[in-house]
Amino acid sequence: MSQIWSIGGGKGGTGKSFIAGNLGILLAKEGYKTLLIDVDFGAANLHTIIGISKPERSISDFLNRRLATLDETVLSTPIPNLYLISGAMNNLDIANLTHQQKIKLLRNIARLSYDYILLDIGAGTSFNTIDYFMIADSGIFVTTPEPTSIENVYRFIRSAYFRKIHHVLKAHDFRTLADEAERQNGNATVSNPEILLHVIKELDPEKGDIVEKALRTLDFKLILNQVRKQDNPNIGELICKIIERHLALKMSFIGNLSFDDHVHNSVCKKLPFVDLYPYTRTALDLRECCKNHLSINKDKTSVQYLTA
Amino acid sequence: MKLYQEKNNYELLEIHPDVAPTEIRHAYKILFDLYQDESIATYSFFSEKERKEILSSLEKAYLTLIDPESRKLYDRDLVGIGGLEEERTYSNHKKNPSSIYDFKKTHVQGLVTIRDPEELKYRASQNPVIQNILDQDTITGRDIKKIRTELKITLEEIAEATKVRIEMLRIIEEDNQELFLPMVYMTGFLKSYARYLQLDEVVILDGFIKYIDKGK
Ligand SMILES: Nc1ncnc2c1ncn2[C@@H]1O[C@H](COP(=O)(O)OP(=O)(O)O)[C@@H](O)[C@H]1O
Ligand SMILES: [Mg+2]
Repeated sequence: MSQIWSIGGGKGGTGKSFIAGNLGILLAKEGYKTLLIDVDFGAANLHTIIGISKPERSISDFLNRRLATLDETVLSTPIPNLYLISGAMNNLDIANLTHQQKIKLLRNIARLSYDYILLDIGAGTSFNTIDYFMIADSGIFVTTPEPTSIENVYRFIRSAYFRKIHHVLKAHDFRTLADEAERQNGNATVSNPEILLHVIKELDPEKGDIVEKALRTLDFKLILNQVRKQDNPNIGELICKIIERHLALKMSFIGNLSFDDHVHNSVCKKLPFVDLYPYTRTALDLRECCKNHLSINKDKTSVQYLTA
Repeated sequence: MKLYQEKNNYELLEIHPDVAPTEIRHAYKILFDLYQDESIATYSFFSEKERKEILSSLEKAYLTLIDPESRKLYDRDLVGIGGLEEERTYSNHKKNPSSIYDFKKTHVQGLVTIRDPEELKYRASQNPVIQNILDQDTITGRDIKKIRTELKITLEEIAEATKVRIEMLRIIEEDNQELFLPMVYMTGFLKSYARYLQLDEVVILDGFIKYIDKGK
């Protein structure tokens, strides 16, 4: 079975596609059969990052039944071992999938057989975005050291937290318990998911246990991108600490990626960054992050979100 | 998981009930940095009100535990409500920090040097390196060490004479702020140190405090 990593984090422009593409290349070079999937349907551009200017096929051919299986949409890339499913939509296709389409897509992604599958997730915290993020064995957040970008990570995590509780409790129970939590704590539950869990545990200890266990399976990672010399290098660790202290979620810091103007050059040249500038600080950082993530995730078994 | 509001002082500071004061101070400093106003890691996670509440609960926890007397009372209360297994005989505990004043140490007669205060004062006043340091706005631990070595006095001698453990003096001289001695202790040690060298303790302390403040 494939290990699925998702790369997301709320805000646009932080470098999610850049990181997904380059981690994919590094994994492929390590000899892993790796598939990149671009699920940022509104702004699909992962193909450019790895040096493909016009993808011939995309996910929309599968969703609109022009191709029978998701497998058929896979493109090979200039890099051996690396494959891509593009998320580029032609103008007639809609970027927002229906619930059915999303379920169908998630099921079929889970059936693909690669060593690693990397999902490049779009901006925003809609249910769709969160569900793509949570299908993964490992959810990697990307943020820059700017307050606005960090704020989006927190927003995303809170949504994911609620979504997980919702998923476990089923709609009806969730409403009842959330209403009760709301009644007891006023608007505190909105800003403070930990209170929600606490109330659920008090009202229904059995369900509370199940929810708590489910939340514990969430396993988040964090990469800090576009770090400049003047930035505090510890911000990543601090963010993880806050998440663990206040939400009791696991979140591990993977590493800092330095800001480098060469990234811009490589994107403009439509050539893969780690190939074009392998000896820059940022390329070394990327390798370090890839290594860290592989070792943190090594002995983890796959969590099946869909069948949970 | 316990709600934040229900955590006891040790849980709040994420320390074991047996830790020494230096560790309490260290833990507090890390958490203070995490929640302080300019921390961009917490800026959007909490409302201003939540942040203030957390900071004040951390401060309260810190102040309670850093003072040995109030810590003892707090531990007793905690044992009373079942939050701690047994009363901590913290002061007899083996993880107990070694005491900072070295009273018990047997006197090694040969080490005691009799100093002539006037002679020390004179030497300092004639030494341009020392005078330069004393004119500085900030004075670091290393500067103080420089003064001592200019006067050709060993740290052992000062430790012996002031009864302050040599490790503590070293922390000051090496500017080893990670170890984060409580400020009251540091200034206390430094006063004895300055007095022994016949230096103006006000000048030394002022310069040193300014230096520490800058690092914050
Ligand atoms: N480490 C970096 N240093 C410099 N520029 C970067 C870095 N990472 C990303 N960028 C720039 O940021 C832009 C947005 O990156 P992208 O991966 O498309 O973001 P996202 O997918 O999160 O919207 C890119 O055009 C790239 O030039
Ligand atoms: Mg993108």
